[in-house]
Amino acid sequence: MRSRDAFRLTGIAAALLAGLAPAQAPAQNVEPLVPYGASTAASSASVGIGYTPDDSRRFGQYNGVTESGVYGLFDFNLVRRDDETGTWQHLFGRNIGLDNRLLRWEQNRQGNWGYFIEFSQIPRYEPLSINSAVGGIGTANLFIPTTPTSGGPVELKTRRDAIGLGFSKAFASNWEVQVAFRNEEKEGTRLFGRGTTGAGPAFGNFEFGPEPINSTTRQLDAKVNYTTSDLQLSGGYYGTFFDNHHNSLNFTGGQASLATFTPVGLPPGNESHQVYLAGGYGFSPTTRANFKLAHARATQTDSFIPGVPLAPGIGGNLDGRVDTTLAQAGISARPMPKLGLLADLRYEDRDDKTPVRVYITPASSTHDGTNEPRSIRTITGKLEANYALPHQLRVSGGIGYEEKKRNTSAVRVVSFRETTDEISYRAELRRMMSETLTGAVSYVHSIRDGSPWQLTTQTSGVVGSNLIAPIHLADRTRDKVRLALNWNPIAPLTLNFQVDNAWDDYKTRDGSSIGPMEGSAQNYAIDADYVFSEQWRATAWYSRNNTKAEQTTCPGASSSGVCGAQTFQATVKNLSDNVGIGVRGKPAGMIEIGADLSYSDIKDEYQQQALIGAPVASLPNVDTKLTRLNLFGRYALQKNSGVRLDYIYDRYKTDDWTWSTWLYADGTALSDPNHTVHFAGVSYYHRF
Amino acid sequence: MGDGGVTRTLRAIFKVAGPLFFLPFVLLFASGPRAQPSADEVRDGRYCANCHADAAVIWTGKHGTKADSRAPVSVGCAMCHGDPSEHVKSPGNPMPQRFSKMASADKNAVCNTCHQGSTRIHWPGSAHERNDVSCSSCHKVHTAHDRARDKLTQSEVCFACHKEQRAQINRPSRHPVREGMVACSDCHNPHGSVGPAMVRRDNVNDTCYACHMEKRGPFVRTHQPVQENCAICHNPHGTTAPNLLKQRSPFLCQQCHEPTSHRGQVATLSGTSTNASTLARGCLNCHTNIHGTNNPANISNERTFRR
Repeated sequence: MRSRDAFRLTGIAAALLAGLAPAQAPAQNVEPLVPYGASTAASSASVGIGYTPDDSRRFGQYNGVTESGVYGLFDFNLVRRDDETGTWQHLFGRNIGLDNRLLRWEQNRQGNWGYFIEFSQIPRYEPLSINSAVGGIGTANLFIPTTPTSGGPVELKTRRDAIGLGFSKAFASNWEVQVAFRNEEKEGTRLFGRGTTGAGPAFGNFEFGPEPINSTTRQLDAKVNYTTSDLQLSGGYYGTFFDNHHNSLNFTGGQASLATFTPVGLPPGNESHQVYLAGGYGFSPTTRANFKLAHARATQTDSFIPGVPLAPGIGGNLDGRVDTTLAQAGISARPMPKLGLLADLRYEDRDDKTPVRVYITPASSTHDGTNEPRSIRTITGKLEANYALPHQLRVSGGIGYEEKKRNTSAVRVVSFRETTDEISYRAELRRMMSETLTGAVSYVHSIRDGSPWQLTTQTSGVVGSNLIAPIHLADRTRDKVRLALNWNPIAPLTLNFQVDNAWDDYKTRDGSSIGPMEGSAQNYAIDADYVFSEQWRATAWYSRNNTKAEQTTCPGASSSGVCGAQTFQATVKNLSDNVGIGVRGKPAGMIEIGADLSYSDIKDEYQQQALIGAPVASLPNVDTKLTRLNLFGRYALQKNSGVRLDYIYDRYKTDDWTWSTWLYADGTALSDPNHTVHFAGVSYYHRF
Repeated sequence: MGDGGVTRTLRAIFKVAGPLFFLPFVLLFASGPRAQPSADEVRDGRYCANCHADAAVIWTGKHGTKADSRAPVSVGCAMCHGDPSEHVKSPGNPMPQRFSKMASADKNAVCNTCHQGSTRIHWPGSAHERNDVSCSSCHKVHTAHDRARDKLTQSEVCFACHKEQRAQINRPSRHPVREGMVACSDCHNPHGSVGPAMVRRDNVNDTCYACHMEKRGPFVRTHQPVQENCAICHNPHGTTAPNLLKQRSPFLCQQCHEPTSHRGQVATLSGTSTNASTLARGCLNCHTNIHGTNNPANISNERTFRR
């Protein structure tokens, strides 16, 4: 396998920051260093400004450059090593002037102790434009107009502020303790709402109700590692804690038909605690085994939200508890120089021990009123062998197996099967045809089936509709073929070709002709990398990625599962062509330049065709085109300092109809605007 | 000065400077082969840098920390590349461990001498190991900047092989991979794990919960596929459908749900109150808490994530 540096367009921050790292080689010059890429020669800092005359929430979705104006560009990477003690000090800041800033301080004595503290922000701006008259957005109490009302611009966004702390200590040459803690505060609002059937203004009884986000997520990972050349062990504790400061969303006003749809529940707090032990052992240089044992308990005991009618005897919270046990063991060996063997077995039991209580009385025809704990037991195994043949050929083959066993409730509206089994056969032929040409072809054939279907059943015991085999439970035959070729036809040129094809064939339920039918995916890619000289280099790639799913259903089947006068097939396709081109050059000793262009043309097709009955219309295709051009130039004023110029052109164009005609009953309207954004930046960098 | 004068002057210069011109050649041949380096020069790589100057940048990083007795600098280039004696005698003699000519397993064995255990325990038998990925396929040690360890550039390394994902991260619905806020290794452990697709935690859902813990529950009303595997409905690498969904509503939902009542309706843009599963949030226009809700409301048929 050959790995190559590939140029790729990155976000605005990457574009503006690129090139601030110390000079090594052209391909490396354009990227900043990072906390872990520490080097005594890596210290650098840059300061500058960027300007865009354009507004675009999608362009700035994850970096905050959503509006026209000036933005600060400030980054640094300060690294020091004390050669006497082997102590590293590292202060790193990226995108300090933008919303996706990262700041990290790290100190460690190599091979002995270390600690770090890190702060990061991840914004997410809702790219849709929104006009709404809904009041109280951002809080847990919304005020909904009772008639469609034109409103003003509304901005939905979230931001994650995370602080990470950690330390490590090695002792007795083979032991190491590592502890990492992360606290993340997430705040903001996200797209949400409520609705029900029945006539209403505009499209019906659907109301815009942004969800307030105000939650805390914590993770603690503490482990002890023991490492020798033969035996490695790693055991520890992993705890996660989620605390939601809003556990319900209250609506006031709005449509009378939605009067009982308040409060709406928001995600409850929960936590999990896992203890684990993983290990590896080398029986010989050619035989190694590994394992992992883990047990986790996840609980959810958040108090039930107030203000809703409760069934008797359900208590004050769910008493939710899920115990998960994991056991895995594997061994790989090379008993002969030409023969490699692998065996692996994994067992995971997710046991949902949440007590079953009656939450709804009386039961309805399709629901017995109880909660539905979900337990899943998964067993996977694989056996593989590979053998080196003459003429640089290597053949490998294997068999994989997965069994999933699930539980279900007595009354259900979706067909279910307790167990699914999937067996996969894999064969691969790999050949190094010459020192400059290697190739591989592989084929995987999988067959999934399972236990008899458990029919949908109503509370009365009457069998309901049983026409669909859910896609993750259905009998399925899957074939996958992969071709890969790496070629260096001449010294400066590297070519890579890759083709992946996959086909799924789903079996419908006995006596039914509807449900998931077929699926397919084709991926073609060609990459080229050409080194013109020590000063100039270019890369280019093209890929085509197509997926297709065919499924059949029928409108308004009877409760016993008889289709009406119409059955139709939907063929949903996603077709995309993607191109990337990158150039790096050093036309003069003091000047470096670079350009990256990427372009994606994505077409989503939603074909619908009546198989029985009246014709149906297809949905319009959705065409989405994304273009991004990134240019930079760097002029070295001195050996260790200089000026960098950046220009970014970003274009998003779509005819997506998802929101184009939609109007909420309260008058809220959303749109997905196209954009063309220009961004220019200038910065001064210094290395020391 | 006439022509004769110029000639005389040049001859005089040559007479004095001529020997200096030949001096380097004389010295070169007089000295024979390059002087043999001392053992220390070979050991610590100083001698190697005469020809492999670019490679010497490795000593500015972790591998070059002299105070750490485990670091390769304590042994020199030989620690990874083998005994250089023959190569030093004549550059035509290759180093014993010449990475560009070694099988991936042999290359990895060199790195594993020091780098094993902890998160690498499940490297043997991992998809990368089985597919002849070597440490040096992704990591560059003779550089001040290992792209695989930078959240901003790491994905470029991964995309050298995972080309489908390269296209997907540019889709309208995506994680902030391009901005370097989410890296492939935030979700995957490229050194092997016990989960499918080398996910970082033990399974797909536990990996997603690291950032999306609000989806874990358990809830009063649970949605079966949500509890089983987030990837039944979502493609985390990027989609054109919103919220990283593999398909739009109602097509996605119709892959499991019976066509009774409104569930088998034809997708249409001419939405009505009972036919609004295509526009806006699709089926979620009503079933808003699709991942599950902990609302215990005792309301008839309230099992469908509407409150």
